[in-house]
Amino acid sequence: MLDHHPIKRFPGSRQEQDYQVRTVCQECAVGCGLVAHVKDGRIVDIQGEEEHPISRGRLCARGTAFVQGLTLPERLTQPASRQDRRQALQPLDGWKSGLDLLAERLRHLKERHGPNALLIGCDLEGGLDFYLGAMRFAQLWGTSQVFYPLGEPLEPWPSGLNSPAASCSDWIHSRCLFLVEADLAASHPVACSWVQEAQRRGARVVAADARFTGALAKADETLRIKPEQGNLLGLALMKLILAEGGQDAAAVGAGFTETSQWQASFEQLSLEGVEAALGVPLERLQHLARLLAQRGPVTVITGRELADLPHHHIWLTLATAMGWVGRPGGGWYPVDAGAPPLKIHTYTGEANTRPEGGHREIPPKLAEVKSRADQPVRAIICSGNCLYDYLSPFGRLTEQVDLIAHFGSFPNATWEQASMTFPAALWAERDGLSFSNDRSIQWGTKIVEPPDGCRSGLDFWMVLARRFGWEAHFPWAGEDSRADQAAFYSWLMAQSPLTAKLQVDQLRSLEPGSQIFWPVGKTVLPNARSPYKGKIVPHPAPAALAPGAETAETADYPLAFEAVQISCRSGDASRFWPWTRGLSREDAVQINPETADLLGIENGDDVLVETPRGRLAGRACLSRAVSRWLVASPHGVSGLKALVHKTDQSLDEARHLLKKLSL
Amino acid sequence: MTKRKRNILLVEASRCIGCFGCEAACKMEHDLPGEPRPIRVIQVGPLGEGEELLMSFQPTTCCHCDRPACVTACPTGAMQKREDGIVFSDLELCIGCQTCAVACPFGVPHLNPATGKIAKCDGCRERVDQGLWPACVLKCPTETLIFGGPARVLQEIGTQEALKVAKTFTREE
Repeated sequence: MLDHHPIKRFPGSRQEQDYQVRTVCQECAVGCGLVAHVKDGRIVDIQGEEEHPISRGRLCARGTAFVQGLTLPERLTQPASRQDRRQALQPLDGWKSGLDLLAERLRHLKERHGPNALLIGCDLEGGLDFYLGAMRFAQLWGTSQVFYPLGEPLEPWPSGLNSPAASCSDWIHSRCLFLVEADLAASHPVACSWVQEAQRRGARVVAADARFTGALAKADETLRIKPEQGNLLGLALMKLILAEGGQDAAAVGAGFTETSQWQASFEQLSLEGVEAALGVPLERLQHLARLLAQRGPVTVITGRELADLPHHHIWLTLATAMGWVGRPGGGWYPVDAGAPPLKIHTYTGEANTRPEGGHREIPPKLAEVKSRADQPVRAIICSGNCLYDYLSPFGRLTEQVDLIAHFGSFPNATWEQASMTFPAALWAERDGLSFSNDRSIQWGTKIVEPPDGCRSGLDFWMVLARRFGWEAHFPWAGEDSRADQAAFYSWLMAQSPLTAKLQVDQLRSLEPGSQIFWPVGKTVLPNARSPYKGKIVPHPAPAALAPGAETAETADYPLAFEAVQISCRSGDASRFWPWTRGLSREDAVQINPETADLLGIENGDDVLVETPRGRLAGRACLSRAVSRWLVASPHGVSGLKALVHKTDQSLDEARHLLKKLSL
Repeated sequence: MTKRKRNILLVEASRCIGCFGCEAACKMEHDLPGEPRPIRVIQVGPLGEGEELLMSFQPTTCCHCDRPACVTACPTGAMQKREDGIVFSDLELCIGCQTCAVACPFGVPHLNPATGKIAKCDGCRERVDQGLWPACVLKCPTETLIFGGPARVLQEIGTQEALKVAKTFTREE
């Protein structure tokens, strides 16, 4: 390979400053290094950390624009409340009276409706401490309904292999990168730069997604599949590879606890219906299977949504069976799954101090909670804009909910529904632990102090718990009675054998350029999935690949809907930054020009997207990024059946017109 | 005073993934509101039929022309061209008349509504004078923006092309 010396970079800031803070960007889970330049308590410049192994001085728009969120005039800085949600929120006299009132209302609701009437929603911006604090509070309270947008962390994998894939900087050793429903160009731009680096060094990039995303635009080979069918694609590829004997027999023997039944399950699997379910001809799948078999080591990069769908573990099975795991440039890299299992579902408290009715349950699925007619949700505590993103099924039920307490920084749609609001510190205003996609553990030092009245998520739960006499269960108060984030995260790391050997001080004093990954030190991993050390239970093939045939729903809603990630948005706060707000319309509904033509829809028309679970209003944006049978928008929930029509067009008329569409 | 050296900003658009990192970096550096955008990423496409689609992103900014129409047109002398080639507007002299915006064949200068004066790419002249890279180049995650002396940038283009050829050989191995 050619010796290439890139042009020397000349980094730095020209702004006058009092001091610099070296920290880690927490807008997404890539974990880029930041140098914040501060003057008079305000950030005057943000530059990338040149020595940082992941980001090498680069930053995306979010890593710069977050600064605007800290000082926006719209920012919430005072607790507020109202009895009637049709009236305006009235400011309260500080957190003390706010939490007194919240505790009183919660007590009242518990007496009338029982503990399970409380639901807690945590968004990513609220921070890991808000989520973990919520878990503990919920266990003491007696509700199991705590939700977080990231799925369960992966189980520890067999000893001898530290992880199913190495860091993103290792992708340069790969001969092929296979991205499945992972639009790194939009969701993780800095990690995407490593895809390009690998591509420049000869790796073939194959990307599969429902939309023609930025990742597909840069890939060498593309595959457009139906939304949320990525894991099905994995099963089909495994079947095709096994049928041709493309697997690595030695790796199968060494990596799996059992092989004959597993192979038999794939032999029995029929590929009938897979073309229709994926929307891909069998020849294309065959071609892809052969390409992957020939171009090892391959790193499979899968999107976050796939983790919540069945058969997610097929990817670890595939990567292990092909002998990619453990080789430089090979393995399985699930995006947004870099946090270790954190033993938070099993809190039992000190002996005999645990209150009556405490739960140890795994949280139910959202759909189950919604269908529990005998135990309706009467109170919601949530951070950010949960009710209008991943908890949106509850956003429409708010009429039946007596109390909605909002913990957030901006007057978003959830805040508009709230009966109480508590202002939150943003990540740049609180110390915290950050787990990157690569499993790197980094200490995010706070850059500036939060505005008066804004507090961390741990503070919120700790002070609320005091109202119920549960101080002993939140033993992380500092000298000023506020939550001591360092003490909390030290405790947290001590809870898991994967991180127990690490101290917060070690992370704080880490030189720029060095990283610590979990598992820390030589750890004997508890292998929960298997009693056999060093092996995994391979994911077997299901009885049938494709789901059932046409339903009545399909006839009523002939299109599919997908939620889109916008490259300059990472969460609730990002909707308020002036620097990125104008770059992309959030109400854009992407429709294929041919479908739009049939329906008489033109660019910019007001349209409605109808789904079995509700309706979404937006403006038509004609784009070939979506295929004829797909509509996409930043709002809403992926994987639904849909129908799109103009506001002055009836549903039946749209259905009739769409009959001419060859899907 | 030592003579300022000329630099080149090369836009290797085939690498751009449309993350808008350059746009946000520019606005922070120059304390600009949401609009105007002195560097702007334009999405082209997807174009084509069926599976054969193409989509690209094109970062666009001031060309810093050799014979800039905006400088000729400016009635107050605010718009100037430096010896190192950077075309910039001196905000002390700018009266916000937007004659430069009319004169520019590429539609580059825009009014900054927050100040009532023209905001356009000034090549990060203050940073460059301090020996620093322009803000957009430094933050670009994908090395779409390449900055340096003309000889060094030309060498870089040559190397990149050679790497592309080398890559086709690796593929065929």
